[in-house]
Amino acid sequence: MIKKLTHDDLIVLLLAISTMLITSRILAELGKKLKLPVVMGELLVGIALGPTVLGMLSPEFFNWLFPFTSNTNVSIALDGIFQLSVVMLLFVAGLEVQLPMVLRQGRAAIVTGLSSMIIPFFTGYAVAWFFPEVFGVVAESQYHFLFSLFLGTALSISALPVIARILMDMNLFKTNIGMVIIASAMFNDLVGWLFFSLILSMSGHGQNHFGLGYTILYILGFGIFMLTIGRIILNRVLPWVQTKLSWPGGVLAMCLGLCLLCAAFTESIGLHAILGAFIAGIAIGDSVHLREQAREIIHQFVTNFFAPLFFVSIGLKVNFIENFDWLMVTIIMVLAFAGKVTGASAGAYLGGMSKRDSLAVGFGLNARGAMEIILGTLALNAGLITQPVFVALVIMALVTSLSSGPLMRRFVDT
Amino acid sequence: MEFDLEKLKKRPSYPFETIAVAVAFSPRLEGVVGEAWRLSKVFGAKLLLMHIGDRTRNKEDKLNNLLEKLKVDEQQVRIIWNEGNAVDTLLQLCKLHVVDLLVLGALRKENMLNFYLGSLARNISRRAKCSVLLLTEPDPAGTRYKKIMVSGVENPKTIHTINTAIYFAEHVKAKEITVATEVHHPGLAMTAGDNTAPEASKMKKEMKEEELNKVHEMVESCRKHGDIEICEKVIQGKPGYAIRQYATSKKADLLVINSPEGKLGIFDRIFTHDMEYILEDLPCNVLIVHSRVTTE
Repeated sequence: MIKKLTHDDLIVLLLAISTMLITSRILAELGKKLKLPVVMGELLVGIALGPTVLGMLSPEFFNWLFPFTSNTNVSIALDGIFQLSVVMLLFVAGLEVQLPMVLRQGRAAIVTGLSSMIIPFFTGYAVAWFFPEVFGVVAESQYHFLFSLFLGTALSISALPVIARILMDMNLFKTNIGMVIIASAMFNDLVGWLFFSLILSMSGHGQNHFGLGYTILYILGFGIFMLTIGRIILNRVLPWVQTKLSWPGGVLAMCLGLCLLCAAFTESIGLHAILGAFIAGIAIGDSVHLREQAREIIHQFVTNFFAPLFFVSIGLKVNFIENFDWLMVTIIMVLAFAGKVTGASAGAYLGGMSKRDSLAVGFGLNARGAMEIILGTLALNAGLITQPVFVALVIMALVTSLSSGPLMRRFVDT
Repeated sequence: MEFDLEKLKKRPSYPFETIAVAVAFSPRLEGVVGEAWRLSKVFGAKLLLMHIGDRTRNKEDKLNNLLEKLKVDEQQVRIIWNEGNAVDTLLQLCKLHVVDLLVLGALRKENMLNFYLGSLARNISRRAKCSVLLLTEPDPAGTRYKKIMVSGVENPKTIHTINTAIYFAEHVKAKEITVATEVHHPGLAMTAGDNTAPEASKMKKEMKEEELNKVHEMVESCRKHGDIEICEKVIQGKPGYAIRQYATSKKADLLVINSPEGKLGIFDRIFTHDMEYILEDLPCNVLIVHSRVTTE
């Protein structure tokens, strides 16, 4: 028998969504006055509405409004919305990755991009491989290798939106430092998400029936197809869509439709849906035919509707007090700072930048922001990490984002 | 083929003392040679007609008849016949004869396969070590250049490109030059939600003013331009594509751009380089200025 949302289920679902949207917006606006990132307000709302605060103060009300365990219908509907949110978030992240820009920045960007991934990756991988018990992983268990790969990847990505905002505020966007940081962050995002998709598929997500070799082949094949032939086709179709169909409805429907189509495709072949959405974002975002206004509408829609739902939902599912482990937080924080700052600074220095500029690049790329939280959430859902590790990653993401600007300022003259 | 590198090193992008034209015996031969001959007179330059391919009686007659028809002074012109790979040989001949400007006929738009494989004119544009003038609609009587547009991209070479455009405009009696710079901030759309509407509009206005000041400073430091009016403009969009669209919409007669930093390859066509957006669909005649002063 097909289950449907009942009248009461629908009321609860709509109330839950509106509560998340309104409260997160209020806190985000308050946070803006203190120059705090929007994502921080959204996470705090989640913590306040979730088991950490509301669940402790009034368990009945919490279970009524967010019935993840007591009402299967609402729980599935909310889960569907959260899944869609993460797909849309990865789509807009892809929209801003511009491969020609990475290539145009030349040696400094390529060396910085590579070094800012390789060093943090091996730092994370080595610590997780040699000291698994620190992270609650049983040595030589099935997940030991995957967890090591995950921690390396988690430490090597950067957060383009946070970095872009910091550079804008510091008036560094169009400087050499700014361009190297942006291009390297794009490179980090691209390689990081491709690699993370591989880890997810290896973890058994989506009932992947293929071997490792085929999985890599599918990821590369899909990526290369979309970024070459797919881009050429898009560059032919987009001008037609923008001039012949109603605006902006036509282009929005086409972009979002293609994103979901690609997400469905990658999910169906055993890779994660985020990969399809991310690659579709890169292919569409790179097109000169996507008008700036259309790009902004997509961003506004996703960042003001899907992003709050996703980030608030994190706090609804995890108890941040129970799962706070200061040792874990300290270890992950030290690894994050040491790996990224060393790797990115060394890369920039080798790429021909001065010592001070290289350190500025290092601290700039250290911001992890929302991308780290998305990555951590997906890993938590896939069973790759425990809740204490997830909490440590979220705290690390917030601390690196908040400290990036002030630390950069010490090395650049603005 | 040996050439004197010392003659080429640090040679400024203007004046044009030697102009060469690639002779392809295509239907547009008369137009291309006519344009090159007019430019050589205007700039007081030597003219080299270069053909890569078989030297046959038929071709010689055709070329002589054409020169006669265009009333070309044979003392001012030298015809060079050579064989080999068309692109490589033309580029080598340009170095050997210290060519300042190479004139080529080019289709406004190539079909997709030709674009990716590379046509002769576009391949030379990607690799030339001298300035290149691509003529989309060559006129035997010579094109009238009224509106000239220059890409004011932030690059040390741009100042030489603007100066070359002014030099060109003075000689062809153009009245107006527009120096347009493109504003493109990848990654910034993601921060759009962080601002209120007045904040976002203030930020955009400030960015535009900043760019305009940079262009203004560049134009101020250029050579004197007499009666030629120089306009400064900031346009939004991806570098290369935005100026192509702007030149098309303003019906420019000539678009002047910097030469690429290195040789462009197939990779730059797939992950489109700024100049490839222009080569993909030429908005008008295009002058690619190669300024050796800063690049070599």
